[in-house]
Amino acid sequence: MNRKSSLGVRIFQYTALIIATLFAVYPVWFIILASLRASGDLYTFNLVGMFVPTAFSLDNYKAMLFTLPFLAWVKNSFFVAGFTTIACLLIATSAAFAFSRMKFYGREWGLVLFLAIQSFPGVLSLVPIAQLLTAVGLYRNHWGLILAYTAGTLIFTTMNLKGYFDTIPIDLEEAAMIDGCGPVQSFFLIALPLARPALAVTALFAFMGGWGEYVLASVLIPAPDNLKTAMVGLYQIANQVSIPWGLFASGAVMIIIPVLIVFLYLQRYLEGGLTLGGVKG
Amino acid sequence: MASWSGRRRILTVLAFIGPTLIGVLIFNIYPIIFNTYISFTNRNQFHPNPDCSVGLTGVLEPTCWGIFKRNAPTGFATPFHLKDPLWSNYADLMGNFFTPPVLIAFFKLIICFLPLVVAAQVNKRFSKQLDPPASPATVTLIAIVTMAIIIFVLKIPAAFDLIMKSGDFFVVTFRTILYVALCIPLFFVVGLALALLLNTPNLPGRTFFRVALIVPWAASTVAIMMSLVWKFFFQEKGTINQLLGIFGIHGQVWLNDPTIAFLVIVIANVWYSYPFFMVTILGALQSIPSELYEAAEVDGANYWQKLMKITLPLLRVAVIPVIVLSSITTFQMFGTVWAITAGGPSRGAGVPGATELVMVYAYKQVFQTNAYGLMGAFAVIIFILLFATTLYSLRISRITKGAYEA
Repeated sequence: MNRKSSLGVRIFQYTALIIATLFAVYPVWFIILASLRASGDLYTFNLVGMFVPTAFSLDNYKAMLFTLPFLAWVKNSFFVAGFTTIACLLIATSAAFAFSRMKFYGREWGLVLFLAIQSFPGVLSLVPIAQLLTAVGLYRNHWGLILAYTAGTLIFTTMNLKGYFDTIPIDLEEAAMIDGCGPVQSFFLIALPLARPALAVTALFAFMGGWGEYVLASVLIPAPDNLKTAMVGLYQIANQVSIPWGLFASGAVMIIIPVLIVFLYLQRYLEGGLTLGGVKG
Repeated sequence: MASWSGRRRILTVLAFIGPTLIGVLIFNIYPIIFNTYISFTNRNQFHPNPDCSVGLTGVLEPTCWGIFKRNAPTGFATPFHLKDPLWSNYADLMGNFFTPPVLIAFFKLIICFLPLVVAAQVNKRFSKQLDPPASPATVTLIAIVTMAIIIFVLKIPAAFDLIMKSGDFFVVTFRTILYVALCIPLFFVVGLALALLLNTPNLPGRTFFRVALIVPWAASTVAIMMSLVWKFFFQEKGTINQLLGIFGIHGQVWLNDPTIAFLVIVIANVWYSYPFFMVTILGALQSIPSELYEAAEVDGANYWQKLMKITLPLLRVAVIPVIVLSSITTFQMFGTVWAITAGGPSRGAGVPGATELVMVYAYKQVFQTNAYGLMGAFAVIIFILLFATTLYSLRISRITKGAYEA
């Protein structure tokens, strides 16, 4: 917009950006600092220590990895999030394809209704869902959690994929149909391969959803220790007075850093997809 | 795709959408029906167990279904049953709302906001027909002055107090609305400001700042962890107080102050949510043709005028769906608030705490006092409100029209 920016404007821009960046990055940077400080050190920060690491104790990480069931929690989280992603993709892609391509009663308002139904207070559906899973014997079971997560992300993923299928020109499928290709074949052979980018983004969101979810996991698998997901385990650690906060920080660092790397690595991609969706909505 | 029809077509469609439909039925529709039924019963900590011989209980309660009966919890307490009269949970929730003085107070409150609505309509429809044309700013100013007069004349604060005293429901709902009303403009302003900065051409280090500013979005996928960090910042021995201690100031326990606690959950939510706004707005900004700005510059428009007359109107389409979705998720905000304040600080026994938003209140009532019946009614009312809002806003924003459809 401003093609020639004066020095004053530049200084203002950088000041604003640097303050915003501090605000954005500091909480994440802080847990890294905190995780490197053994128990008592956590409360003796000086001004320098608040911004650059001054203590380098790996005690928290050692305790987290070797004395606590942290690795089991991470494994559980991976298991649950992974199967949620697979189930979501399997179920949502076909529904999205149908909503995008097939003619049936309710196609127009079906997704709108689904979306509006989702506004039911999630906290209150915890009880019926927990009861249902208890009844079928899936309470305190990873598969129960996977079922609940899959159902929870289903509507979002269907909408997202339907949007993408809409952008794929129907001509290809029509040409295939003339050659005798049915809807099932055109789904598997034409639409799915073309939708690969959208599948990747959807998978990312489904995985992140399962990886970071806390409330359902805490209700469905509150105990025993070796079945908990990482979120539930770490949350309980953070809220125990007897356990130093730095220990929680080390666990949080190990959970958050992989997420950050993946997310920032894919951010360009994400931005492109969102831009399309946002502007033309 | 109409070359195939009849029975086979129906079967194919069912095969494609069947699994999704079943998922939605079991995990979205069933809980709603179940909750609605429970909202008419007296299910609470004294009557937790179902009586399977009662018709509807036997149908809706999963532990009553034949094959699953072995998993049913057993207890000695008397089972829950339908209330008499049926709607007494709803009546309890509403308190004495439906008494003349409170209704009048509510009516006054509505009148108070009328000038703003009228102003919005005038700006939207009639401003161009008026002679001389009224500027939107003037109309809004007149509306605000009228509102101030109404507040003074009708004694709105007293009326508001009266409504607040009529039941927890109103306290919690109004507080949540206030929370949404504080958060959403902040998301938008912060997101817009940063997007405008990042959109400056030839700004060295732009990519670095863009990536750094998205960090909270990435971190929000593990929101509960980051919320605990925010809690630590404001603890008694937390980061803020350590920072103040360096300068010799003895800080207070921030989260024990109702106003500050409320602001902390606003700030934390801004931290999570502004990147989404920023990225959306940035994308929309880049799609605005630069000829528009060039033409405006030729006409001698300054930065502010360009922002108001070109940028903001053109952002509308991109931003409204984001605002709608964020409003609904903010209204339902649970995890962050739960982790940071758990609804506290307390304002006395039996009264919702200073940061008990709708979901926090419901969670506490269900899992700490087991008031299922009452909370069923609460959920039904909130659901009706949100359902109507969602449908209405989907209509105006047309989000469902396929995100990628032109």
